[in-house]
Formats: sequence, C-alpha cells, structure tokens
Amino acid sequence: MPMIEFKNVQKYYNNFHALKDINLTINDGETVVLIGPSGSGKSTLIRTINGLEDIQSGQLIVNGYDLLDKKTDINKIRKDVGMVFQHFNLYANKTILENIMLAPKIVLHREDEENKRIAMELLEKVGLASQANKYPSQLSGGQQQRIAIARSLAMKPKCLLFDEPTSALDPEMIGDVLKVMKEIAEDSSMTMVVVTHEMGFAREVANRVVFMDQGTILEDDSTEAFFKHPKNERASQFLNKIISHED
Amino acid sequence: MHNFLAAYSWINIRFLLIGLGVTIFVSIISIFFSSIIGTVLGIIRYRKIKFVSLIVGFIIDIIRNVPLILVIFFTYFGLPEIGIKTNPLWASILALIIFESMMIAEIMRAGILSIPKGQTEGAIANGLTYGQTLRHVVLPQAIKNMVPALVSQFISLVKDTSLATIIVLPELTNHAQIIYGQNTNYTIPMFLALAVMYFIICYSISKVANYYEQRVEKRLAK
Ligand SMILES: Nc1ncnc2c1ncn2[C@@H]1O[C@H](COP(=O)(O)OP(=O)(O)O)[C@@H](O)[C@H]1O
Ligand SMILES: [Mg+2]
Repeated sequence: MPMIEFKNVQKYYNNFHALKDINLTINDGETVVLIGPSGSGKSTLIRTINGLEDIQSGQLIVNGYDLLDKKTDINKIRKDVGMVFQHFNLYANKTILENIMLAPKIVLHREDEENKRIAMELLEKVGLASQANKYPSQLSGGQQQRIAIARSLAMKPKCLLFDEPTSALDPEMIGDVLKVMKEIAEDSSMTMVVVTHEMGFAREVANRVVFMDQGTILEDDSTEAFFKHPKNERASQFLNKIISHED
Repeated sequence: MHNFLAAYSWINIRFLLIGLGVTIFVSIISIFFSSIIGTVLGIIRYRKIKFVSLIVGFIIDIIRNVPLILVIFFTYFGLPEIGIKTNPLWASILALIIFESMMIAEIMRAGILSIPKGQTEGAIANGLTYGQTLRHVVLPQAIKNMVPALVSQFISLVKDTSLATIIVLPELTNHAQIIYGQNTNYTIPMFLALAVMYFIICYSISKVANYYEQRVEKRLAK
C-alpha cells in the first residue's frame, strides 16, 4: 500500500518552478532518504507531503487523502504524518513535557494521565526523562531535536518526515539523534522520509535513496544499488563529494 | 494657600470624582472592546488573507494616521448626518474604540511577528489547526512581548479621554474646567488635582501590568 504518492506534481513559488513533474511512490513502512545539493527542492518536496507547501498541479495522495481535493481536511493528514525540522521548532513557552503533551491533548483529546504516561515513555525512549520539566532553551540542540522527535511520536503517526534533522547540530550531538531515528526505522510499520547528508545513516537504514537536482528527481534506487553505483552522472558526482567530505 | 483650601471643598472634590468616574468608565469600556477588536484585526492583517488583509491594513493605516480628535468629530458630528443618533458619552466611547483598536491591531501584529515562525510550523505539523496554534503557542508568547507597548497604549487612552471634553463629555478634565471657569482662582489647584488623578490611574495601570508580567515570567522561568 502506498503511503505517499506523487503523480506529475508541479510546484511553483510565484514564477519559480520549484518541483518539476515529480513522480514518487513511498510504501507503508518504507524508509526513504532524499538527497541532493542545496536548493534542489528537497525541503519543498518533503513539505508538500503534510501541506506546509501547496502544489499547483498533478496529484499528491498521502495516507489515502488527495491534497489537491478541496474537500480534504489537511488536519486529518497532519494527525498521522509527523515532522521533524532542522531547527527543532519546540514551543519556547512550554516545558518539555508540555511540548510533547500539547497536540495529543488538543487534537486527540487524550486523557491527562494517559497523555503523561505516554510522554514519559517517549522521553525514556529518547533518553531525556530527567529533563521533563525544563524549558527548550535550557537544553542542547541534540537534546531539543530528540524532544522534537518524541513530540512527533506522541501523536502515534503512521509516517514521519525529517528535514535535515542533524544539520544544525554540533558533530558530537548527531550520533544520539541518529540512534533514535534508527530505532524508529526498525519499527516496520513506520514510514519515514528523511532529507539528510548522513550517508552512513542512509546506507544502514534506508530502503531507497532518491536524488534530486534543480527540482527534478534524477534517481530513485534501492539503497544498495545507489551506493554501489549511481546511474545518474550528477548523483554520482554529488555522492563522491559528500563521501570524500565525510572521510 | 487659601485658594487651595477653597478649591478643594468637598463639593468641588465630589464633582471632580464624578468626572473621574466617567473617565474610568469610558476608559474601561474602550480598553475592553478595543483589545478584542484590535486582536482580531491584528491577526487578520498578519495572516495576509487575500483582499481582506489588504483592506484591513489600509483602514488601520488611515485611522492610525489621523488625529483622534477628528475621529471624535466624526462619531459626534458625522454620524448624526447619516442618521445615526449619538450623545457625547457614546460618541466618545465609539471614537476611542475605533482609534485604539487600530493601535492595538498594530501592536498585536508586531507581537505575533516577534515569535519565530518555526514554532507555528512545528505546531501545525504536529496536528494543531492555525487557530489552536495561535491560542496555545503564539499568543501567550506574543502577548508577553506586547505588554510594555500595550501599557503605553492604555495609558495614552486614559489621557486621551480628556480630548472628549471638546464635545462636552462630563469627564474629569471637563469637570475641572467647569470649576475653574466659575472661579479663575481655582485654575492652578484644579490643574494640580487633574495631574494627581490622571497620575494615579495611569500609574496603577503600569503597576498591574508589571505584576502580570512578573507572574508570566516566573511561570516561564520555572
Ligand atoms: N518560500 C519560498 N519562496 C520562493 N522560493 C523559494 C521558497 N522556498 C524555497 N524556494 C526556492 O526553491 C528552491 C528549492 O528550495 P528548497 O526546497 O529549500 O531546497 P533544498 O531543501 O533542497 O535546499 C530554491 O531555489 C529556493 O530558493
Ligand atoms: Mg532544505
């Protein structure tokens, strides 16, 4: 079953053609890593999935809902599709626990006691239970990002979107965040779309790698095939560049 | 000295206090309604809804850049021309609500702009509607940032009620004028009384706001 289906999707920012004829299917439970040079449209693409960016034509179906259909309630999609951002985007006026409990309380009407129990379980899972009553500004970037992941998981989503979740972090913080993401990917029912430059992570957990450049998908391949030998020339150059950078 | 004692006779003080009551009444009603209307208009302008936001923005800019006294003339002399009856009390209140709503709308918009957009995106992606995001995430922080500007605005509003003396609203300044109009020896004592009374109300407003701000801060710093 496809969780996400792009068919000939076009996206414009005014006159700028940001997504050009995108065709992409992501199945239930799959982990897909999206790579490409800066400005290639990775953020734009991932943000169309939960309607943070609108599309102009084509068809985009997420969790059975057609995003261009006026009758679609976008909030129904967002309930089941979580998102983790480069800059965490935690609520500055709320404690860690309140950050995690807010959406389940308001959107899912989850009882306080259960809500707190689930939030604490998630905090254990990301290794930050002792920080429950602090405010986001009191935590490091890596800790804030793990909280953001816990906040998304609290909604019990079917799908999680990650837009460069480790790009704003100090190198020594990246490992902890990737570890949490790997654990989530191991849960076979979770669909994950991850924009990242962490090729180690991609190699280890992705089922597929999608390479974008200038608003177009140039390659969509199994992880193994992609890393062995990218078919597309630009994908190959890009891969060489970031891998040599990593060493 | 004799002037002062005579000026502050019980009859005069009582007359001033009645004026003060009108000033406070007009201020409270205007603050209440302009806060609500201003919040709504500020949000509409911020949200950039096609046409609606443009029109609202245009109206806000016009009224903000016109002297309040003209708005008072409009509600007192203008409205009857188009068949709407007014009296000094309601014309003043209406003028203040119109004028202050526009000021508060701009303060509100600036307050919302001061909250990083990422938090709104985080909340929306987390499943909240835009309205829920405003209510639970953006406004509590925005209002905290807005407190100093709002306080100044409310203080100006209280002082601006004195402009309504021009349409003979029986408020504090008007009553003081009536007293010294009858006896010019009372002019200075009346000015002094006015200064003290306006100071007390305005100072109380900033004290209450300080208290509120500190409470919010304490909650945030917990
Ligand atoms: N809100 C926007 N308005 C106009 N252009 C935008 C906007 N967001 C992104 N773009 C443009 O779209 C292109 C793709 O951007 P983005 O999706 O952020 O790329 P990436 O995430 O791959 O770096 C870039 O050229 C960028 O300048
Ligand atoms: Mg990006």
